[in-house]
Amino acid sequence: MIDISLTVNGGRHELSVSPETTLLGLLRNQLGLTGAKLGCDVGDCGACTVIIDGRSVNACLMLAAQADGCSVLTIEGLATREQLHPIQQAFEVHASLQCGFCGPGIILSAKALLDGNPDPSRQDVREGLSGNLCRCTGYAKMIEAVLQAACVMRGETEDVDGKSKAGS
Amino acid sequence: MNSKSIVDEKLHAAVADSTTGLPLLVRSEMLPAVFPVDLLVPDARQQTPAVGQRVIRTDARQHGLGQTPYIDDMVIPGMLYARIKRAGVASARILGIDTREAEAMPGVMAVITGRDIPVNSFGPSLQDQPVLATERVFHAGDGVAAVAAVSEQIAAEALAKIRVEYERLPAVFDPLEALKDDAPKVHPPAGNIYARKVICRGSVEQGFADSKHVFEQQYRTQMVEHVPIEPHAAIALWDANGRVTVYSSLGRITLGRADLARTLRMPINRIRLVGTFVGGNFGGKNEITQEPVLALLARKTGRPVKGVYTRTEEFTASTTRHPFIMDYKTGVDSNGRILARKVRLVLDGGAYCSWSETTLGKAAILSTGPYKIEHVHVEAMAVYTNKTMTGAMRGFGAPQVCFAYESQMDEIASTLDIDPLEIRMRNAFVNGSISPTGQVLHSVVVRESLLNAARRMNWPEVDS
Amino acid sequence: MKKRGRGIACMWYPIGFTVAANPSAATVKINEDGTATLLTGTVETGQGALTVLGQIAAEALGIAADDVHVVSGDTDVTPMDTGAIASRTTYVTGNAVKLAAEKARAILFEVAAPMLGVRPEQLEARDRKIQVQSFPQRHLAIGDVALQAQSVKGQPAIGSASWNPPTVPMDPDTGQGKPFNTYVYATQIAEVDVDDETGEVDVLRIIAAHDCGTPINPMLVEGQVEGGISMGLGFALQEEILFDAEGRQINPNLTNYIMPTSMDMPEIEVVFVDNYDPTGPFGAKGVGEPTSVPTAAAILNAIHDAVGVRITSLPATAEKILAAIKSRGTDGLKNIKA
Repeated sequence: MIDISLTVNGGRHELSVSPETTLLGLLRNQLGLTGAKLGCDVGDCGACTVIIDGRSVNACLMLAAQADGCSVLTIEGLATREQLHPIQQAFEVHASLQCGFCGPGIILSAKALLDGNPDPSRQDVREGLSGNLCRCTGYAKMIEAVLQAACVMRGETEDVDGKSKAGS
Repeated sequence: MNSKSIVDEKLHAAVADSTTGLPLLVRSEMLPAVFPVDLLVPDARQQTPAVGQRVIRTDARQHGLGQTPYIDDMVIPGMLYARIKRAGVASARILGIDTREAEAMPGVMAVITGRDIPVNSFGPSLQDQPVLATERVFHAGDGVAAVAAVSEQIAAEALAKIRVEYERLPAVFDPLEALKDDAPKVHPPAGNIYARKVICRGSVEQGFADSKHVFEQQYRTQMVEHVPIEPHAAIALWDANGRVTVYSSLGRITLGRADLARTLRMPINRIRLVGTFVGGNFGGKNEITQEPVLALLARKTGRPVKGVYTRTEEFTASTTRHPFIMDYKTGVDSNGRILARKVRLVLDGGAYCSWSETTLGKAAILSTGPYKIEHVHVEAMAVYTNKTMTGAMRGFGAPQVCFAYESQMDEIASTLDIDPLEIRMRNAFVNGSISPTGQVLHSVVVRESLLNAARRMNWPEVDS
Repeated sequence: MKKRGRGIACMWYPIGFTVAANPSAATVKINEDGTATLLTGTVETGQGALTVLGQIAAEALGIAADDVHVVSGDTDVTPMDTGAIASRTTYVTGNAVKLAAEKARAILFEVAAPMLGVRPEQLEARDRKIQVQSFPQRHLAIGDVALQAQSVKGQPAIGSASWNPPTVPMDPDTGQGKPFNTYVYATQIAEVDVDDETGEVDVLRIIAAHDCGTPINPMLVEGQVEGGISMGLGFALQEEILFDAEGRQINPNLTNYIMPTSMDMPEIEVVFVDNYDPTGPFGAKGVGEPTSVPTAAAILNAIHDAVGVRITSLPATAEKILAAIKSRGTDGLKNIKA
């Protein structure tokens, strides 16, 4: 067993994990954070995407022990009690998800993209989501939602319905 | 983002306790907001009339928060994990299955084979599929034994300890080969053609004789997987009254319950099947797969049992889209009007019938296209091969035949130097047209759809 | 060099399926405050069925989508349904839901009629009110009527119904019959670039003009079309399960089985073709499967338009297209009588 300490969604955890436990296994089975999904177990589908120290990673490919000392953001940590993250809100309003299984991973890939590039082009968004497979949506409404959320996060619109700020 | 997250160590401790065999959480400080976020309901959900509104999905909020409960997110105290051993050979006689070593492994709670299944066959139209193969393997993805263990890892390790002795049998993989008289029979003594459909109207011979041009071409399509991002998953558990509850990613719970009743030989009222949120279906989750196996493992162990397909099993042990071999012969007059069309469809039906009859029927009916044709003859057949089973997939054979009839339509247009839009407008069904099965069609808008799309694409000939 | 081409494909597709009857049943319970609960045996598999069925129930009751809670997919609780298959949910289950809601509504009309001094058949349910047809100022709040029905009259407003599309079996020798009650129609046009030195295809744009009867929820219909096109694009250009000589799959994983990513998708424009099918709920038919039917044909016709080669076996991989270009391929096409 390996003792590790990591921050998940702002909360510190001290844990004891077996060497073969993946970060995804740790999150889902030990911390009860089931938002990250197991879709392929080999890093192809992106359903397990989480953000580690600002970088999106496939949690199925990373050992829990490798996350020692890291800060992990999962989908459960994106909203607060009062507020959805603008990406979550945009995904909701645009019906960007259908079955929803790929959703947590896609939304976190989008967050990692927008954190690094607040004003992405459509092509940037396509590239930013290209590591996440979705079989339902054809990605169209996801791309729209990410562009819309980027506008909101830049303060150009008040909400994802596209209403303009007064005076802008 | 987590300024208001709350501390809830009790919840954390409970989660850790319920995960048998895994190390416990030592100490944690905070949990994120995993409860509903109290926000305004978007307008469209509040409007009347309700029809025509761009209403936000009822599950959109949960999806975005990662709170939609799929099967693999469900944990029941004491739950075991099942895995199924796959044959890995396409056609063989099973001489023996030795499960003793697997059963002796610490953490393995039960092993079953096909002999433990009360009625070991199922299928929506032909009951030609074993839940677990017992005497014969029909394709490489067949299950031959199943394990329930305290962890997924132990279950997977136990599969390697199960020894199966096979005697290889002749196999056939090409549907045209399978049609030949001397081909190996996939399900002896039955022949390899297991479903056939004929549609005829008018006289194609007369139609071809009257035609100015006759076009003939073979088209082929490939085997495709549904790829739902959520693999097939289910949990089975029993109560003390002998009722079984199965939570499943199945899209058809009424049929699923009937299949469970048949395979478990139980009255329907003692079976509860709950269809949870499905992480993608596309026709691939229209019939039971591992549900009877999980129910039997749960009964044998007295504990809930969860099974989740690996991505590999999703490809090899669930249904796929039928490869088609399509021969099209079409006669037209000098204006490109179709007078006669003869179609022969050979569906690579894989090892089991599954939804092949429905696929065959739809493909045959649709195969001449949305066109007025006086003389049609369609012959379609589904053929067994020792390959992955083919079944329902979005379109039930329609994408395959559409590829053929629309490719040939363009071929006719270019040979006769007619615009592709124009040739379709000339032949398209209109209200009151008669379909190849003799049905009078209503609410037909083929031409409107052609013109709408062509205008949007600035198709040059659209308004000429 | 990149060559541009356009290709057209149209299609027809039946709603429901052939082999046997495919009924759906539904139960609608109007609560004493005028909200409602719908019980359906179908399952949400991502298509948005529960949202659409809730809208259909709401429409029949004259309330909003948010006023209807939908309970689904539990054989102990929900009525029989043939399931999420064959693009049948909006049409078949939708008809059952509409009938069930109308039965529940009829109880409200019976209770409201004497309160408004008219006969039940003179009433309608709109904007969360039970009102006299053509005299909307004479109305009662639906919640007041529902409370009256349950707590005063002792007649809780509950309706159950089932529906099965009427069909005629096909003659086994000739195939003549009426296998489906209705069909939808669509055209897709694809615009592609084909690199004639590599055979690579870039699908730039797809116009998708689809008939689904009345779009109950246009946003969800768009989602079905966009998703169907992605599946059709994979079918056209990328996806194929391959086998070795022993009949074992070579590529049973998402590393080697290539399916569309966000990088592969074209711009998609969804066009609704105006239509109303009197046999469907509020004129609706269905849309799930047909969206992926014409895509491959349109793309393949566009490839032919771009570089003059006709690929007759899917998927049209770059290797296949390049080989056809190099052999000046018409891929063995025959016009045997021309």
